[in-house]
Amino acid sequence: MLNVSHLRKVYGPDPSAAPAVADLDFTVEDREFVCILGSSGCGKTTMLRCLSGLIPFTSGEITLRGEPVTGPPKDMAFVFQDYSRSLLPWMTVRRNIAFPLRYRGVDRREAAALTEEALDAVGLAGRGDRFPWQLSGGMQQRVAIARALAYRPRILLMDEPFASVDAQTRSGLEDLLLRVWERYETTVLFVTHDIDEAIYLADRVLVLRPPATVGHEVTVNLPRPRDQVRTKENPEFARLRGELFAAIDGGTVAA
Amino acid sequence: MNRRVLGLLLELALPAALLVGYGLWTAQAQSFYFPPLGEILQYFRDLWLFDRVGSDLLPSLLRMSAGYLASVVLGVALGLALGMSRMLRTAAEPVVEFLRALPAPALIPFSLLLFGSGDSSKIFVIVLGAVWPILLNTIDGVRGVDGQQLDMARAYHIPLGARVLRIILPGAAPRIFAGMRTSLAIAIILMVVSEMVASSNGLGYFVLEQQRSFAIPEMWTGIILLGVLGYVLNWLFQRLERRVLAWHFGLKGLASPAAAKNTGTTKRSARSAAPSSDGEV
Repeated sequence: MLNVSHLRKVYGPDPSAAPAVADLDFTVEDREFVCILGSSGCGKTTMLRCLSGLIPFTSGEITLRGEPVTGPPKDMAFVFQDYSRSLLPWMTVRRNIAFPLRYRGVDRREAAALTEEALDAVGLAGRGDRFPWQLSGGMQQRVAIARALAYRPRILLMDEPFASVDAQTRSGLEDLLLRVWERYETTVLFVTHDIDEAIYLADRVLVLRPPATVGHEVTVNLPRPRDQVRTKENPEFARLRGELFAAIDGGTVAA
Repeated sequence: MNRRVLGLLLELALPAALLVGYGLWTAQAQSFYFPPLGEILQYFRDLWLFDRVGSDLLPSLLRMSAGYLASVVLGVALGLALGMSRMLRTAAEPVVEFLRALPAPALIPFSLLLFGSGDSSKIFVIVLGAVWPILLNTIDGVRGVDGQQLDMARAYHIPLGARVLRIILPGAAPRIFAGMRTSLAIAIILMVVSEMVASSNGLGYFVLEQQRSFAIPEMWTGIILLGVLGYVLNWLFQRLERRVLAWHFGLKGLASPAAAKNTGTTKRSARSAAPSSDGEV
């Protein structure tokens, strides 16, 4: 469904300068959960911004369901890393979620229904009248996820969405994301620098090496539904962990 | 005694002391320039309750409101355009810097030539002085809007009009209000100054006229009224700001006096400080 081939991105006017993304190829199937794993500075964010159509790329091709991506695609929703900066503090939680729907041709009543459903899916039913800054960090990121879900995207792009919450909240959010992924039958492309998180969530993990090329790929055959304790006790989890650790380490000098 | 009452008493103590001090001093000083407090108050009641309200206070207020509102509309609209377009900004900057460095009263003679001695010339001078803080703050506010919010808007296909009205304008609003507050003071000053030159009514005209006819207590009543006017307008402005920017004060942990006291509040511990604690949102 999402197809990236020979993607190359060079910042600035000189096309022979060092690329942020050199030669990236991968595909994501419909309803698949793919994690992109890479250390900081490996071009993850640049890649994601190209995929979401927010910045133009230098060469190569990105297609979503056969359509070339030239601007932000209609079927795509984006969850940013910094929830406190992507939610609008002057709108209530409910209005934040409903805001993009109004310009999507969704009528008022349906928008309200989609909003309530999304609030319920992320466990924030009854908090719709709060303002984002009245909620904890984890709850704010759940609002951002709810906004993406209410948009009913075919594919959800997530840029290290759980990087700035504490560990306890984080595992809760991971489980929540897996539940809504099942419920909303969507495709997820999830960028992270956390090996455990990538294995726990994904069907498939792609290891990105600078300058953003796929250095390694593993399929995660751990049973679903996943469980924070049992899944991580599984010997296969440990094996994948070792494999990915070597793959990341083999490509870069750890900073 | 609860804190509120104590605070109120503290606020009233200094003004009361100053008034009493002035009253005691003028009673024995017999100064022509500083008439006794009782006399000033007597004249104040005779003149401003409500003899000259229609003839002087109202015209002044109308000129100031018209000039101030025009400044807000003009400043915000131009500020949005200049803030969003680097090209426009570059092109307009020298002119803006020149015009804002120009003392607005210097244009009173010219505005009299252009508009005559009616209201238009005074409104023109007020706008010429009051528009700049709003314009410059709006530009800065627009440029300071979070890039991630704009990325979000693009990713979700929010059309340009909604981006301006629902993201850029509210995002810049705290700065816009800061500019509007400065401009309010400037508008009052220019109202008075413009009325002191070639005018036949208004507070500025009144104060100057009384001084020229050596009616000193009457002159003082005009000055006091101007002070009260500035105080009341500022108070109204603050109420409006608290209302419109409730989210901003909440975000900063200042939604209510109770939350403001914990100055070390982080965003999260301000959670309990709902804007509703202001009692009006």
